[in-house]
Amino acid sequence: MVTGEMINVIDGLKGLFSFWSPQKPTLPFSVLFKKFRSILERNNRILELMSDMGDKLGGDYVFDRQYVLDISEKIGDLVFKLISDLCVMTQNENVDLFIAFERIQHEIQEELAGRRAFPMTRPTVLLDELNGDLNEEVGNKFANLGDIRNTLGLPTMDGFVITTRAFFDFMEANGLLSHVENSLAALDAKDEAAFEAMCDDVRGRILKGTIPRHVISSMNGMLDILESRARGKPLRFAVRSSAWGEDSEFSFAGQYESVLNVPRKGIAEAYRRVLAGAYAPEAWRYRLHRGYRESEMAMAVGCQVMVEAEVSGAMYTYAPLPLEQEAMVISAAWGLGPAVVEGLAESDTFVLDRLPPHRLLSEELGRKASKMVMEPDGGTAWDEVPQRLRDEPCLSSEYIQRLAQAAIMIERYYRRPQDVEWAFDSKGNLYILQSRPLNVRPNQPERHRLYIDQATLSAHVLFSGKGTVVQGGVASGKVYVARTDDDLRDFPYGAILVARYTSPKYSRVMLKARGILTDVGSATGHMATLAREYRVPTVVDTGVATKVLKTGDEVTLDALRNVVYEGTVKELSQFEITQEEVFEESYEYRMLRRVLKKVNPLNLVDPHSEYFKAARCQTFHDITRFVHEKAVERLIDLSENYQRYHDRTPKRLESSIPLGLVIIDIDKGTSVPAQARSVTVEQIESTPMKALLQGLSESGMWETNPVAVDLGSLMSSFTRTFSSSLAGPEQVGRNLAVISNNYMNLHLRLGYHFNILDAYIGDELNDNYIYFRFLGGVSNLQRRSRRARFIAEVMECFDFRVEVHGDLIVGRLKKMSKEWMVAKMKVIGGLIGYTRQLDVSMISDEQVALHLAEFIKRIQVLTEVRDDVPMCELRSKDADSNP
Amino acid sequence: MMSPCANCAQKTQILILDDEPIVCKRLRPAFQKAGYEVETFNDSASAMARIEEKQFDIVITDLKMKGVDGMHFLERIKEIAPNTGVIVITGFATSESAKESFRKGAFDFVAKPFKLNEIIDTVRRLEENRRR
Repeated sequence: MVTGEMINVIDGLKGLFSFWSPQKPTLPFSVLFKKFRSILERNNRILELMSDMGDKLGGDYVFDRQYVLDISEKIGDLVFKLISDLCVMTQNENVDLFIAFERIQHEIQEELAGRRAFPMTRPTVLLDELNGDLNEEVGNKFANLGDIRNTLGLPTMDGFVITTRAFFDFMEANGLLSHVENSLAALDAKDEAAFEAMCDDVRGRILKGTIPRHVISSMNGMLDILESRARGKPLRFAVRSSAWGEDSEFSFAGQYESVLNVPRKGIAEAYRRVLAGAYAPEAWRYRLHRGYRESEMAMAVGCQVMVEAEVSGAMYTYAPLPLEQEAMVISAAWGLGPAVVEGLAESDTFVLDRLPPHRLLSEELGRKASKMVMEPDGGTAWDEVPQRLRDEPCLSSEYIQRLAQAAIMIERYYRRPQDVEWAFDSKGNLYILQSRPLNVRPNQPERHRLYIDQATLSAHVLFSGKGTVVQGGVASGKVYVARTDDDLRDFPYGAILVARYTSPKYSRVMLKARGILTDVGSATGHMATLAREYRVPTVVDTGVATKVLKTGDEVTLDALRNVVYEGTVKELSQFEITQEEVFEESYEYRMLRRVLKKVNPLNLVDPHSEYFKAARCQTFHDITRFVHEKAVERLIDLSENYQRYHDRTPKRLESSIPLGLVIIDIDKGTSVPAQARSVTVEQIESTPMKALLQGLSESGMWETNPVAVDLGSLMSSFTRTFSSSLAGPEQVGRNLAVISNNYMNLHLRLGYHFNILDAYIGDELNDNYIYFRFLGGVSNLQRRSRRARFIAEVMECFDFRVEVHGDLIVGRLKKMSKEWMVAKMKVIGGLIGYTRQLDVSMISDEQVALHLAEFIKRIQVLTEVRDDVPMCELRSKDADSNP
Repeated sequence: MMSPCANCAQKTQILILDDEPIVCKRLRPAFQKAGYEVETFNDSASAMARIEEKQFDIVITDLKMKGVDGMHFLERIKEIAPNTGVIVITGFATSESAKESFRKGAFDFVAKPFKLNEIIDTVRRLEENRRR
């Protein structure tokens, strides 16, 4: 029984929740549609600025701080206006979005102002989470080790770092920050004895200091994790310094303390010892002499599981010999590292060629009578080397080779010669212990600078100025031309990859390749992102690379000047790694990269996910994506539920293909009367829509099951039954197009694939564009990513500028003649038909190439424009000749 | 690729002035590789002093700087050495500033950010032009 009171309550609740239901529009449809188009335009503009910023990281451009300031302002402004447009469209305040915007904007402002707040306030961090950007939190040494472990994937021992945050907490808790400052202020700079007494005093206080409780419990948490990973095996740790500035411009080599073979119960003690080491007279003097302020002193401490080293040592990627000799040098001895690094015992010396295959140039074997070993109860001791091993080389040629490759990989990444500390255990596993830049410049007279231009001027240029630089740098090596169906398993170490297209599949050779050149491709794709990540010198879209270069050719790629030389121009590599500053380490580069981190990554990928919320937006890209999605939803809602309101009768498209499409014609998009409730394909006048529908039907892509390529697979029958159920009635009617004579805005959900197309095709070349966005679902991640690759490759092939973000693919094309635009639109039509259920059939990597060849073969009849040969025709021939 | 200067006894001398150090740091090695002799300056006062001592073939200067700005620097160069070719690079490109630089005798006006090859090509065109 419903009482009057209940009705009141329900009414009250209705009022309370009324903001949940979409607002009835109070503005004319044309105004809201204008807002919608403005959202699309801003959205495109934002994505363009994002790729513009990304391009600048490649090294091809000279940009300054002002550029970063300007573009950050521009992009922030656009995002703000984008949200405002959405507010008008949805008649909603979108408070969460504005808050997300202000938060991101504030973070960017802080970066630009150079105020780097500690993003990491935890007292400890696992090595797995580290990278070069965290140098403030974990010091340079372990930030570098983070790159080596997590970006380059080289083997390092497990461990964690006690951060600089913990250092400040420790010093603060023990009253030491102000004590150090006061002591320094009171010190007579010339009084050596007083200086040493001050050092003793500070060290004494640190050794007796109390480690704050939260730091201790955080350390214990880390130790528990490491122990569980080691499955209960008792662990011993190397506890090492990692101070601000250490292992960077000034190496501080040997200035700070390390404690080896520490059991769990000794970690706190070792931690204090390493901190105290920062105030030893030599270390402190070193800082003072180099103009370090006391406020720039912060000591992070790394705790790493000890390697049970059979042999260890150091390696310089440039031997202290004249540079022309292109040699690297390894010092090695039996047992633990300090024997070599601190020069405590006799060692072996191996001098190798820097160029692969890193031939041994000379060796000098020391008489290695004793070695440093781990004591069972902690600490180290000296032990005798068995007689038979004393005069034996402690590294085999295979070990030398592996070591050389790892060291060169690190050098290539940092573009600086490296001083690498390493160890092999008794099972033959190599571990990188640390790596620091090796300063070879002091040995470099002006002379070096003088012969660089002679070298480049006399070298034979194979081609230059072609294509787009994705990642700068210099690479010499042998060419390896990848075939279309190449699985790249045999890609030789140190080679230069030459390929017809950019492809994410090349990510598997990123670590082995010295450089990458492609004929076709974009600087914004997935491969480009990876090349930048690994800093592999890369130039795409050269147009000629596979024609000019053959497998086995020796070449030098200067990706900064964008020139490919015949042979090895070793002066170029030397010049590069002895430059005053590495671009990637410059302040402006790092600033742009940090700003991009707040702009670029896309976290809101799946609109069906519960995390697809305004409050979850972490970057401008997230906001842009979110706003776009909401704007589309709103537009569909307006067309479906407020038909009377937009004074144009929606028309159902009568077509043999069940698209379930409703069309709103805003201006001469169809030849039927305004009040007509249906329209046939023939009555469509809108140029982009007509082309799209032709592509869909005339290519025969819709009717043909794409799984044909996947003969005999169990999946094929599954797909056939699956596909019909997917095009269920619940999906139909959600598809909407707003068209005019030259314009089309289409939202097409087919099965679980969601396409957005926004295009203008008219006579004025400069106005023409196609924007295509594809988001898919179903099947597993691997298949989805293969499908994404297929779509990306087709679109790149047809001149689209393509970006892949996980499952989301965005392709853009603009400023081409009407004839060309129509041809490309037909390709999109074909592609939409072809990919309907494609992910289900993407059972292997090979499928991508097969589908690509198949698609191109089928679409060709529709895309012939005058006498021009589309790029892809060449590709399909390649594919044919390499079955 | 034959540089116009491969056989010259004397290399082309370039002075680069930009108060953003990164611009100098990136341009110097690029021009050195391309066969030029380069001097770079981050403040206009020392660049000003340098052009009084030495004649450069080519000057590349920023416009907006603390102290003496690029426009005055351009004027002064043209007084001392009318033959020196000047390329103006700026992040605040407006048609007014472009027009004014051309009126004061600049050879070209390049908006930042630019590609390394773009600026090297501009210098090559300037050299061609000077030879004619």
